[in-house]
Amino acid sequence: MKLTSIYTPLLLFMLVIGACRKDDDPVFDKTADERINEALSKYQAALIGAPDGWEARIVTGTGGIFNFHFQFKPNNRVSMYADIDTATAGNARESSYRLKALQQPSLIFDTYSYLHQLADPDGNVNGGDDGSGLVSDFEFSIDTVTTDSIKLTGRFNNTKVTLLRAAPQDAAAWQNGDWRNTLSFQYIANIQEYFKRLTFSGAAYDLRFNVLQRTITFVWADAGGTLRQFTSAYFYTREGLILETPFNDGTRTITRLTGAGWNNNTLRVTINGNTPGTIAGAISPIKNDLGAPRRWWETMASQQGYWITGNGFHVNGVDDAFRMRSIPNFYFAIYWPEYNTQDGVTYDVMGYVVVANNSLALQFGSAWEPPTFTANGRVIFRLLGTLGTVPASAVSIYNNINTQMEEPSGYYLVQTSTGSYDMVSAKDARAWITWEQ
Amino acid sequence: MKTRINIFLYILALGLMTACSKDDDPGNVDNIPGLGGDTWTPGPIDIWIRDSLTTPYNISAKYKWDQGELDFNRTLTPPKEEKIIPVMSAVKKVWINNYVAEAGELFMKQNCPKFFVLIGSGSYNSDGTVTIGTAEGGRRIVLYVMNDFRVKGMPGYVPFDSLNVKEMFHTIQHEFGHILQQKVLYNPDFKRITVGRYTSNWNNVSNTEANQDGFVTAYAMSAPDEDFVEMIAFMLTEGKRGFDALVDNISGTSPNGTTAAQAKDKLRQKETMIVNYYKDTWNINFYNLQARTRATIETMIR
Repeated sequence: MKLTSIYTPLLLFMLVIGACRKDDDPVFDKTADERINEALSKYQAALIGAPDGWEARIVTGTGGIFNFHFQFKPNNRVSMYADIDTATAGNARESSYRLKALQQPSLIFDTYSYLHQLADPDGNVNGGDDGSGLVSDFEFSIDTVTTDSIKLTGRFNNTKVTLLRAAPQDAAAWQNGDWRNTLSFQYIANIQEYFKRLTFSGAAYDLRFNVLQRTITFVWADAGGTLRQFTSAYFYTREGLILETPFNDGTRTITRLTGAGWNNNTLRVTINGNTPGTIAGAISPIKNDLGAPRRWWETMASQQGYWITGNGFHVNGVDDAFRMRSIPNFYFAIYWPEYNTQDGVTYDVMGYVVVANNSLALQFGSAWEPPTFTANGRVIFRLLGTLGTVPASAVSIYNNINTQMEEPSGYYLVQTSTGSYDMVSAKDARAWITWEQ
Repeated sequence: MKTRINIFLYILALGLMTACSKDDDPGNVDNIPGLGGDTWTPGPIDIWIRDSLTTPYNISAKYKWDQGELDFNRTLTPPKEEKIIPVMSAVKKVWINNYVAEAGELFMKQNCPKFFVLIGSGSYNSDGTVTIGTAEGGRRIVLYVMNDFRVKGMPGYVPFDSLNVKEMFHTIQHEFGHILQQKVLYNPDFKRITVGRYTSNWNNVSNTEANQDGFVTAYAMSAPDEDFVEMIAFMLTEGKRGFDALVDNISGTSPNGTTAAQAKDKLRQKETMIVNYYKDTWNINFYNLQARTRATIETMIR
């Protein structure tokens, strides 16, 4: 008790003395607001300070690689090129930008530009899924700034972007159309045949492009006659389409394809910068996978399952040419081998699955005789009858699809992955349908 | 006793400590820099918005991207610059000018919502639908899908675009209806016309089924206030002919047992109450306003 009564006044005395320290100078000599504004104007000066603008490469959340050229101007305006298609690569588009302190100093492209095409949630704009697009960004936090490079991180989808100070020839490559020529690879989509054949100095390969993920697949027969294929991601530079992993079949190596003009449904290309070649449509595969039709059919017959198609037949350049997706409440269509047996015939069904009472229902479809597998690697379908009742509004769609299925020349099957096949009309390769598990 | 002395000493100490606060000069309050980035060099669009909307009606339109105005879980994009003036001048023609013509300049200045947020893309919902307009508090209206805005005469216009145009004006009229109805409540008898049919489950009801129960749209079933403003929005954007056609085409008995004749009668009762509300409360001839508004919309879609 006594000790307490001594220490308490002592403690109080110390508190009173300590409480009176008046030295509360801030650590920084300016306020936080002032320092933030200084940083922003420094970054703005760096952006404007590149006389030939900035080059940038963006990898979207879906894996596509895109190149951009930005020219920042002092009045919150920026003009840009992008290698999305020939229009964006050939014409500069001006929009606005601003620097703003969000949680970090941020660079915001605040009205619509080529950059926003990648992030647009409308799948019709960029080929991505509705609601997310290609999973990209147009609002970036600024990580580091030097005179030659600026590192940015997307604030919504974490897209990493590095702006590199452009040299005069970089800017010129956009302005004088080198990039637009490179983008002439998009014309390959105008080839109506399924098979796109690359031919040069006596060699030939079938190509498959995935434009959304920017991958290219080479298909060829090796010396022993075995069907081989190779897939690589690709990206564009002003010198052409570059394979991330060079293609090599043992005799030839391909690292780069340069577009040299689109004419008469044929794209002229230069291989590796020196060998001229062409990419054109072909009506049959470079080597048919003879076992593929039976393999496709037995995959599902053996497990009592079915193949699914969401988009139906692509014919003469038109997706869903028979407007299958306009069947009321349509969800997807299926091909179900050995669906059932009637009068001694075990038949297959091509069925149309619709949403009814908040669940999926198979309400009608066409029945097919067991398909014929020919020795030259085709499958031929013959109609047996109709299951269920076809809604009046779907009758013509249903009949048109059956007519296409009954194509007398039959179909090739091209295995595109372990769980997917493309079924291609053997008549002229201008009609095909994708089957997936 | 001792405790009491100690307490006294503590209080004394507190008093001494706080007494030491020094005079903090707030500095020059006329020049607080803020965080920056909220101003920019005004361009032709900024000037158009200022002269056509802000100066006369105190309405601002934010077209530059600001994530803070929006849902953080939606993928959205800012609008294309070339769409902003066409959209806002269409809004001015269809909505502001017609109300001004019928109710006067002062009415519009006092009552219009003050803040538009413009978004280029649609707002995709997880159920597959796309939101194309929202509003809150009678003050802020968010317009989506501006990049697809096309009226007759613009390149690429197809008749389907008229749906987007009408939907946009439906949203604006709906929200403006809320402002009027929140300032002066309508006759409570309105709530009794379709009493017992209001439901939070409205999104599982089709418009046709809603019509059969005496509602103008399915969303009108969500609450009496929504019912009231959906009626206003539908009658103004579709015009008298459009509304009459909707009422006349009701057929069959609803799942709730409302007959077609009953449904038609309910919708007509609601129509009458709205016409009277506009007349008695705001001194506006609703049918004149309806004819003007529909005529302006038709110049854009036909």
